[in-house]
Amino acid sequence: FQDQAEQFLRSGHTNNWAVLVCTSRFWFNYRHVANTLSVYRSVKRLGIPDSHIVLMLADDMACNPRNPKPATVFSHKNMELNVYGDDVEVDYRSYEVTVENFLRVLTGRIPPSTPRSKRLLSDDRSNILIYMTGHGGNGFLKFQDSEEITNVELADAFEQMWQKRRYNELLFIIDTCQGASMYERFYSPNIMALASSQVGEDSLSHQPDLGIGVHLMDRYTFYVLEFLEEIHPASQTNMNDLFQVCPKSLCVSTPGHRTDLFQRDPQNVLITDFFGSVRKVEITTETVSLDRDVAGFESKFPEEELATEPLKYAEQLPVAQIIHQKPKQKDWHPPGGFILGLWALIIMVFFKTYGIKHMKHVF
Amino acid sequence: MAAPLVLVVLAAVTVRAALYRSSLAVFIAERVEVASPLNAWKRVVEGLALLDLGVSPYSGAIFHETPLIIYLFHFLIEYAELVFMITDVLTAVALYLAIQDFNKVVFKKQKLLIELDKYAPDVAELIQTPMEMHYIPLKVALFYLLNPYTVMSCVAKSTCAINNSVIAFFILATIKGSAFLSAVFLALATYQSLYPLTLFAPALLYLLQRQFIPIKLKSKSFWLYTMQYASLYLCSLVVIICLSFFLLNSWDFIPSVYGFILSVPDLTPNIGLFWYFFAEMFEHFSLFFVCVFQINVFFYTIPLAIKLKEHPMFFMFVQLAIISIFKSYPTVGDVALYMAFLPVWSHLYRFLRNIFILSCVLIFCSFLFPVLWHLWIYAGSANSNFYYAITLTFNVGQILLISDYFYAFLRREYYLTHGLHLTRQDGTEAMLVLK
Repeated sequence: FQDQAEQFLRSGHTNNWAVLVCTSRFWFNYRHVANTLSVYRSVKRLGIPDSHIVLMLADDMACNPRNPKPATVFSHKNMELNVYGDDVEVDYRSYEVTVENFLRVLTGRIPPSTPRSKRLLSDDRSNILIYMTGHGGNGFLKFQDSEEITNVELADAFEQMWQKRRYNELLFIIDTCQGASMYERFYSPNIMALASSQVGEDSLSHQPDLGIGVHLMDRYTFYVLEFLEEIHPASQTNMNDLFQVCPKSLCVSTPGHRTDLFQRDPQNVLITDFFGSVRKVEITTETVSLDRDVAGFESKFPEEELATEPLKYAEQLPVAQIIHQKPKQKDWHPPGGFILGLWALIIMVFFKTYGIKHMKHVF
Repeated sequence: MAAPLVLVVLAAVTVRAALYRSSLAVFIAERVEVASPLNAWKRVVEGLALLDLGVSPYSGAIFHETPLIIYLFHFLIEYAELVFMITDVLTAVALYLAIQDFNKVVFKKQKLLIELDKYAPDVAELIQTPMEMHYIPLKVALFYLLNPYTVMSCVAKSTCAINNSVIAFFILATIKGSAFLSAVFLALATYQSLYPLTLFAPALLYLLQRQFIPIKLKSKSFWLYTMQYASLYLCSLVVIICLSFFLLNSWDFIPSVYGFILSVPDLTPNIGLFWYFFAEMFEHFSLFFVCVFQINVFFYTIPLAIKLKEHPMFFMFVQLAIISIFKSYPTVGDVALYMAFLPVWSHLYRFLRNIFILSCVLIFCSFLFPVLWHLWIYAGSANSNFYYAITLTFNVGQILLISDYFYAFLRREYYLTHGLHLTRQDGTEAMLVLK
């Protein structure tokens, strides 16, 4: 009981969010969608509801005309595990997965017409898991074959999130080639990052399925998924175990991680702090009576001394002021020199035409 | 003749005032045939509003009027309708007085030529009599004021009316013989829209004729007078442009007004020929074709000057028509101006060959403009080709009208000197054919 209570005080989060992004389109990038859906499945299984997951898939593999098994996305050879399922809720689909939308989701700078399912409504007690997969390079991640997000932009977005108090702690996982370059530039506190490969290395895909015709998963995510399948909501597995997932012998690339910005020791960080939505519950056996307190509330705030009359509708608009307003003075006037010059010319023309003798009648 | 003129003026003012108060005013004001990017009223209002906000009105691509118009409307914007009605009335009165004087000149010249026996013996029926010439000035004022094109142009408050009135005063000054005033008004007209520059030639020819200076290239008095007139014109133009610099303390208006007229960047459809061509042209050809189209306006001046040097007023009429057909942003207001002159040449009626077809073409096209516009823009069942076809037809009709009048004029001149019944060398009757 003491340990559980201590744990209650250890991590400061009260809710969990997940932002899962697949940035590649086209059929041969099936594995990126499968990666993202695997993490989605694990995260949902461990308790994060759809309302707290922002799932961005850049292409539709399940209903792709080239999919020999429509409505399925498999993560394992021999079609053992269908990560698509019946209850997948994709929030950003197809061409909506752009760098701009991703950054808007993270920073919260979203047009007012965006539905709730497309927003990251996190607060300063939220732990956010951000998983990104796709094709990347040294310092960038490619979105949709047409644009890219750089590590600097990502770091700045996280800093905006920190300054707007949009997260308590953030776990960033990236599965792309040279993925470690993406977390090199982070400078905001409370971020832990994992990547599938170091700078200069490529992340490799796992197994092709000859029935479907494409590679189904990337190695790193495949082993992460295998690892996560062992986790249940009450697991005490910590981050150090996650760092050991996919050693070089299995993954060919060297996975990397970064914990210098994170305040707690990774030993003390539970997997379920990020991947699950574990509610902290305090069990008590005492009964608390509420009637006394309710009565106490009323006497706390005395009635307002000022007697205010309710305003009538007509008085809310200063009609008398408006109708007697003078028309606005024009702000621009032609310069005096111009007027003088113009009229001098006109008078000169007039007298030239009609003769000088009229001048003495004027003056 | 004052009373009928006053009556005509009253009728015209009533028609315009009635239309201003009706709902048609808004409809007419937005029609592209009446309001072009150069002279639309809402652009003037927009320019003045920008000025009130402290921004130069030439900073966007909205306002393309000259600074003098800014000055004029800065004080008169609340009375805009009155201003345009008075402008139309002034134009009509100026044309009336001009044509009255012109008729006197024509009659005097005719008498001179009869006494000098320059005319053939059997052309009595071609000679103009004072009786038939008596009502021509009134008809000219009537044609201008009650022309539906003018009325629409006035109701739309298009500044074309101001341009027309300046040109009308220029014509009045030229006919009265005052070189100074005519140069000043021509400079004003050129300053506002560039094309009246070509009216320099007919005005010069008329003034030379009036001073009895023979038009020979070697004659010294010819060159002296030409230099005087040209220097008066250029000086007044320079003075007006420099004066308008001082209104806003910037030269912004030069690219906005003259650069806009010459380079035709705005391709809103109008009744002219430029917009369709440039809308579908490749970028790298547009400079070449802009030059070609602009040269087309100025090109006819020299040949017409050579052919019509004895008849400068007719030359003025043809030149006005050419300006209003080939200018970059024509509107029906420009068409109305040269149509006002048609009663002056009503004695050419017997020589006009296609007048019935051409008037039908012009009337039909005028009715089809709004129909095809509606079909193109609102109903979506036509496209720009339909509207362009009507534009083409209208312009071809105008060109044929002018060339018909030109042919009729030359034919009459030929008959006057060679007699009505032409015979060939062997005595059989001959036909006059334009080669």
